[in-house]
Amino acid sequence: MGRQLFDMVTARRLVLDLLKPYDPDVVTTAEAVADIDGVDGVNVVLAENEEEVQNVKMTVEGDPIRVEAVYETIEDLGAAVHSIDEAACGERLVEQSKTPQD
Amino acid sequence: MRSPLRRLVRALEREDVRSISRRYFISNGFDGALTSIGVTVGAYLSGIPDGLTVFSIGIGAAIGLGTSGVWSVWEIERAEKRAERARIEHAMLTDLADTRVQRQQAGARQVNALMSGIGPIIGVVLPMVPFLAEGTLLSMRAATLISIGVAVGILFAFGAYLATISEQSWLVAGARMGLAGVLVAVLNFLLPG
Repeated sequence: MGRQLFDMVTARRLVLDLLKPYDPDVVTTAEAVADIDGVDGVNVVLAENEEEVQNVKMTVEGDPIRVEAVYETIEDLGAAVHSIDEAACGERLVEQSKTPQD
Repeated sequence: MRSPLRRLVRALEREDVRSISRRYFISNGFDGALTSIGVTVGAYLSGIPDGLTVFSIGIGAAIGLGTSGVWSVWEIERAEKRAERARIEHAMLTDLADTRVQRQQAGARQVNALMSGIGPIIGVVLPMVPFLAEGTLLSMRAATLISIGVAVGILFAFGAYLATISEQSWLVAGARMGLAGVLVAVLNFLLPG
Protein backbone atom coordinates (compact mmCIF):
# COMPACT_ATOMS: atom_id res chain seq x y z
CA MET A 1 0.00 0.00 0.00
CA GLY A 2 1.42 3.40 -0.90
CA ARG A 3 2.33 5.03 2.37
CA GLN A 4 3.00 8.27 0.51
CA LEU A 5 -0.76 8.57 0.10
CA PHE A 6 -0.89 9.46 3.80
CA ASP A 7 1.87 12.04 3.72
CA MET A 8 0.80 14.80 6.14
CA VAL A 9 -2.60 13.17 6.73
CA THR A 10 -3.69 13.24 10.38
CA ALA A 11 -6.51 11.52 12.20
CA ARG A 12 -8.00 11.33 15.68
CA ARG A 13 -8.79 7.64 15.58
CA LEU A 14 -7.67 4.79 13.38
CA VAL A 15 -8.89 1.22 13.54
CA LEU A 16 -6.63 -1.08 11.55
CA ASP A 17 -6.80 -4.75 10.65
CA LEU A 18 -3.21 -6.04 10.87
CA LEU A 19 -1.37 -9.21 9.98
CA LYS A 20 1.73 -9.58 12.13
CA PRO A 21 4.38 -12.16 13.07
CA TYR A 22 4.14 -13.61 16.61
CA ASP A 23 7.33 -11.78 17.42
CA PRO A 24 7.29 -8.82 18.23
CA ASP A 25 4.36 -9.68 20.49
CA VAL A 26 1.16 -7.63 20.85
CA VAL A 27 2.47 -5.68 23.86
CA THR A 28 5.62 -4.61 22.01
CA THR A 29 3.55 -3.77 18.96
CA ALA A 30 1.09 -1.64 20.96
CA GLU A 31 3.91 0.07 22.85
CA ALA A 32 5.81 0.94 19.67
CA VAL A 33 2.76 2.65 18.15
CA ALA A 34 1.90 4.34 21.48
CA ASP A 35 5.40 5.90 21.48
CA ILE A 36 4.64 7.87 18.30
CA ASP A 37 4.28 11.62 18.87
CA GLY A 38 0.63 12.62 18.98
CA VAL A 39 -0.66 9.16 19.89
CA ASP A 40 -2.54 9.19 23.20
CA GLY A 41 -3.36 5.51 23.43
CA VAL A 42 -3.38 2.20 21.59
CA ASN A 43 -5.45 -0.94 21.93
CA VAL A 44 -4.52 -4.19 20.22
CA VAL A 45 -6.96 -7.09 20.22
CA LEU A 46 -6.13 -10.56 18.96
CA ALA A 47 -8.56 -11.60 16.26
CA GLU A 48 -7.02 -14.86 15.08
CA ASN A 49 -3.92 -17.00 15.56
CA GLU A 50 -2.54 -18.70 12.47
CA GLU A 51 0.49 -20.96 12.14
CA GLU A 52 3.15 -18.30 11.59
CA VAL A 53 1.19 -15.05 11.97
CA GLN A 54 -1.50 -13.31 14.00
CA ASN A 55 -4.42 -11.24 12.85
CA VAL A 56 -5.02 -8.31 15.22
CA LYS A 57 -7.26 -5.26 15.39
CA MET A 58 -5.43 -2.11 16.40
CA THR A 59 -7.21 1.01 17.63
CA VAL A 60 -5.11 4.17 17.80
CA GLU A 61 -6.32 7.44 19.29
CA GLY A 62 -4.49 10.75 19.47
CA ASP A 63 -4.51 14.42 18.75
CA PRO A 64 -3.48 14.38 15.99
CA ILE A 65 -2.17 11.03 14.80
CA ARG A 66 0.24 11.24 11.86
CA VAL A 67 -1.06 8.36 9.76
CA GLU A 68 2.20 8.00 7.86
CA ALA A 69 4.14 7.62 11.12
CA VAL A 70 1.75 4.87 12.25
CA TYR A 71 2.21 3.04 8.96
CA GLU A 72 6.00 3.38 9.15
CA THR A 73 6.08 1.95 12.68
CA ILE A 74 3.77 -0.91 11.76
CA GLU A 75 5.94 -1.80 8.76
CA ASP A 76 9.08 -1.59 10.90
CA LEU A 77 7.47 -4.08 13.31
CA GLY A 78 7.12 -6.45 10.38
CA ALA A 79 3.32 -6.17 10.35
CA ALA A 80 1.11 -5.42 7.36
CA VAL A 81 -2.09 -3.36 7.22
CA HIS A 82 -4.87 -5.49 5.77
CA SER A 83 -7.46 -2.78 5.89
CA ILE A 84 -8.41 0.49 7.56
CA ASP A 85 -11.62 -0.40 9.36
CA GLU A 86 -12.33 3.02 10.82
CA ALA A 87 -10.89 6.52 10.50
CA ALA A 88 -11.98 9.59 12.44
CA CYS A 89 -10.55 12.96 11.39
CA GLY A 90 -11.31 16.63 12.01
CA GLU A 91 -11.58 19.05 14.91
CA ARG A 92 -13.37 16.63 17.23
CA LEU A 93 -13.86 12.90 17.58
CA VAL A 94 -17.13 11.78 16.01
CA GLU A 95 -18.64 8.38 16.77
CA GLN A 96 -20.53 6.55 14.05
CA SER A 97 -24.23 7.39 14.19
CA LYS A 98 -27.02 4.88 14.36
CA THR A 99 -29.16 4.41 11.30
CA PRO A 100 -32.39 2.45 10.87
CA GLN A 101 -30.39 -0.27 9.10
CA ASP A 102 -28.40 -0.83 12.34
CA MET B 1 19.75 3.48 14.03
CA ARG B 2 20.35 1.45 17.16
CA SER B 3 23.88 0.89 18.37
CA PRO B 4 25.19 -2.67 18.06
CA LEU B 5 25.69 -2.81 21.84
CA ARG B 6 22.07 -1.86 22.51
CA ARG B 7 20.95 -4.49 20.03
CA LEU B 8 22.97 -7.12 21.91
CA VAL B 9 21.52 -6.03 25.26
CA ARG B 10 17.98 -6.15 23.87
CA ALA B 11 18.65 -9.60 22.46
CA LEU B 12 19.96 -10.79 25.83
CA GLU B 13 16.70 -9.73 27.47
CA ARG B 14 14.84 -12.28 25.38
CA GLU B 15 14.41 -15.71 26.98
CA ASP B 16 14.51 -17.57 23.65
CA VAL B 17 17.87 -15.97 22.84
CA ARG B 18 19.22 -16.78 26.31
CA SER B 19 18.04 -20.36 26.03
CA ILE B 20 19.80 -21.04 22.73
CA SER B 21 22.93 -19.14 23.85
CA ARG B 22 23.04 -21.22 27.05
CA ARG B 23 23.04 -24.43 25.05
CA TYR B 24 25.90 -23.30 22.81
CA PHE B 25 27.85 -21.92 25.78
CA ILE B 26 27.59 -25.08 27.88
CA SER B 27 28.02 -27.49 24.98
CA ASN B 28 31.16 -25.77 23.67
CA GLY B 29 32.44 -25.05 27.17
CA PHE B 30 32.13 -28.78 27.87
CA ASP B 31 34.18 -29.49 24.73
CA GLY B 32 36.76 -26.93 25.84
CA ALA B 33 37.17 -28.29 29.37
CA LEU B 34 37.55 -31.88 28.17
CA THR B 35 39.99 -30.78 25.46
CA SER B 36 42.08 -29.00 28.08
CA ILE B 37 42.27 -32.17 30.15
CA GLY B 38 43.40 -34.07 27.06
CA VAL B 39 46.04 -31.43 26.32
CA THR B 40 47.41 -31.25 29.88
CA VAL B 41 47.55 -34.99 30.50
CA GLY B 42 49.02 -35.56 27.03
CA ALA B 43 51.61 -32.86 27.60
CA TYR B 44 52.57 -34.29 30.99
CA LEU B 45 52.84 -37.86 29.71
CA SER B 46 54.87 -36.85 26.66
CA GLY B 47 57.40 -35.19 28.93
CA ILE B 48 57.08 -31.52 27.98
CA PRO B 49 59.54 -29.94 30.41
CA ASP B 50 58.04 -26.49 31.05
CA GLY B 51 54.61 -25.13 31.91
CA LEU B 52 54.76 -22.21 29.52
CA THR B 53 54.85 -24.57 26.53
CA VAL B 54 51.77 -26.40 27.82
CA PHE B 55 50.05 -23.06 28.38
CA SER B 56 50.87 -22.02 24.79
CA ILE B 57 49.47 -25.29 23.43
CA GLY B 58 46.33 -24.69 25.51
CA ILE B 59 45.93 -21.16 24.17
CA GLY B 60 46.22 -22.58 20.64
CA ALA B 61 43.41 -25.00 21.45
CA ALA B 62 41.33 -22.17 22.95
CA ILE B 63 41.77 -20.05 19.81
CA GLY B 64 40.78 -22.99 17.64
CA LEU B 65 37.73 -23.97 19.67
CA GLY B 66 36.67 -20.36 20.26
CA THR B 67 36.84 -19.56 16.54
CA SER B 68 35.01 -22.77 15.75
CA GLY B 69 32.31 -21.87 18.29
CA VAL B 70 31.73 -18.39 16.88
CA TRP B 71 32.02 -19.29 13.21
CA SER B 72 29.89 -22.41 13.19
CA VAL B 73 27.08 -20.85 15.23
CA TRP B 74 27.17 -17.69 13.12
CA GLU B 75 26.55 -19.80 10.02
CA ILE B 76 24.07 -22.18 11.70
CA GLU B 77 21.98 -19.33 13.08
CA ARG B 78 22.16 -17.37 9.82
CA ALA B 79 20.60 -20.33 8.03
CA GLU B 80 18.07 -21.12 10.78
CA LYS B 81 16.92 -17.54 11.17
CA ARG B 82 16.69 -16.98 7.43
CA ALA B 83 14.55 -20.09 7.15
CA GLU B 84 12.36 -18.84 10.02
CA ARG B 85 12.00 -15.42 8.39
CA ALA B 86 11.20 -16.99 5.03
CA ARG B 87 8.34 -18.96 6.65
CA ILE B 88 6.89 -15.77 8.15
CA GLU B 89 7.37 -13.85 4.88
CA HIS B 90 5.61 -16.65 3.03
CA ALA B 91 2.67 -16.49 5.47
CA MET B 92 2.52 -12.68 5.32
CA LEU B 93 3.28 -12.29 1.62
CA THR B 94 5.65 -9.46 2.47
CA ASP B 95 9.38 -8.74 2.68
CA LEU B 96 10.66 -8.46 6.25
CA ALA B 97 14.15 -7.22 5.37
CA ASP B 98 15.11 -4.07 7.30
CA THR B 99 12.33 -4.50 9.84
CA ARG B 100 12.45 -5.07 13.59
CA VAL B 101 12.05 -8.80 12.92
CA GLN B 102 15.26 -8.86 10.89
CA ARG B 103 17.14 -6.69 13.42
CA GLN B 104 16.03 -8.89 16.32
CA GLN B 105 17.24 -11.95 14.48
CA ALA B 106 20.61 -10.31 13.78
CA GLY B 107 21.00 -9.39 17.47
CA ALA B 108 20.06 -12.91 18.55
CA ARG B 109 22.59 -14.41 16.12
CA GLN B 110 25.37 -12.20 17.48
CA VAL B 111 24.62 -13.16 21.09
CA ASN B 112 24.40 -16.86 20.18
CA ALA B 113 27.76 -16.75 18.37
CA LEU B 114 29.45 -14.75 21.14
CA MET B 115 28.34 -17.12 23.89
CA SER B 116 29.28 -20.10 21.76
CA GLY B 117 32.84 -18.72 21.50
CA ILE B 118 33.17 -17.68 25.16
CA GLY B 119 32.27 -21.18 26.45
CA PRO B 120 35.30 -23.04 25.08
CA ILE B 121 37.66 -20.14 25.84
CA ILE B 122 36.69 -20.33 29.53
CA GLY B 123 36.79 -24.12 29.38
CA VAL B 124 40.35 -24.19 28.03
CA VAL B 125 42.10 -21.07 29.34
CA LEU B 126 41.25 -21.41 33.06
CA PRO B 127 42.62 -24.97 33.38
CA MET B 128 45.84 -23.77 31.71
CA VAL B 129 46.52 -21.06 34.30
CA PRO B 130 48.30 -23.40 36.82
CA PHE B 131 50.97 -24.04 34.19
CA LEU B 132 52.00 -20.40 34.44
CA ALA B 133 53.12 -21.14 38.01
CA GLU B 134 55.16 -24.16 36.96
CA GLY B 135 58.81 -23.73 37.85
CA THR B 136 58.13 -21.24 40.63
CA LEU B 137 55.28 -22.54 42.80
CA LEU B 138 54.38 -25.82 41.16
CA SER B 139 56.00 -28.86 39.61
CA MET B 140 54.73 -30.16 36.24
CA ARG B 141 52.97 -32.99 38.03
CA ALA B 142 51.26 -30.62 40.49
CA ALA B 143 50.32 -28.17 37.71
CA THR B 144 48.80 -31.02 35.71
CA LEU B 145 46.77 -32.28 38.67
CA ILE B 146 45.57 -28.78 39.57
CA SER B 147 44.70 -28.13 35.92
CA ILE B 148 42.58 -31.29 35.83
CA GLY B 149 40.96 -30.15 39.08
CA VAL B 150 40.13 -26.73 37.58
CA ALA B 151 38.64 -28.33 34.46
CA VAL B 152 36.55 -30.73 36.55
CA GLY B 153 35.48 -27.73 38.67
CA ILE B 154 34.36 -25.87 35.54
CA LEU B 155 32.39 -28.91 34.41
CA PHE B 156 30.84 -29.15 37.87
CA ALA B 157 29.90 -25.45 37.68
CA PHE B 158 28.27 -25.99 34.27
CA GLY B 159 26.24 -28.90 35.67
CA ALA B 160 25.27 -26.97 38.80
CA TYR B 161 24.22 -23.98 36.69
CA LEU B 162 22.05 -26.18 34.46
CA ALA B 163 20.50 -27.64 37.62
CA THR B 164 19.52 -24.18 38.88
CA ILE B 165 17.48 -23.48 35.75
CA SER B 166 15.86 -26.92 35.63
CA GLU B 167 15.05 -27.54 39.29
CA GLN B 168 17.47 -30.44 39.65
CA SER B 169 19.90 -31.08 42.48
CA TRP B 170 22.94 -28.90 41.74
CA LEU B 171 25.20 -31.36 43.54
CA VAL B 172 24.09 -34.35 41.48
CA ALA B 173 23.99 -32.46 38.17
CA GLY B 174 27.41 -30.92 38.88
CA ALA B 175 28.90 -34.28 39.83
CA ARG B 176 27.48 -35.85 36.67
CA MET B 177 29.20 -33.26 34.49
CA GLY B 178 32.41 -33.33 36.52
CA LEU B 179 32.59 -37.10 36.16
CA ALA B 180 33.17 -36.66 32.42
CA GLY B 181 36.36 -34.72 33.21
CA VAL B 182 37.63 -37.42 35.58
CA LEU B 183 36.84 -40.08 32.99
CA VAL B 184 38.75 -38.26 30.23
CA ALA B 185 41.74 -37.81 32.54
CA VAL B 186 41.76 -41.50 33.48
CA LEU B 187 41.38 -42.58 29.85
CA ASN B 188 44.29 -40.35 28.86
CA PHE B 189 46.47 -41.88 31.55
CA LEU B 190 45.46 -45.45 30.71
CA LEU B 191 45.34 -45.46 26.94
CA PRO B 192 48.61 -45.71 25.04
CA GLY B 193 49.90 -42.60 23.25
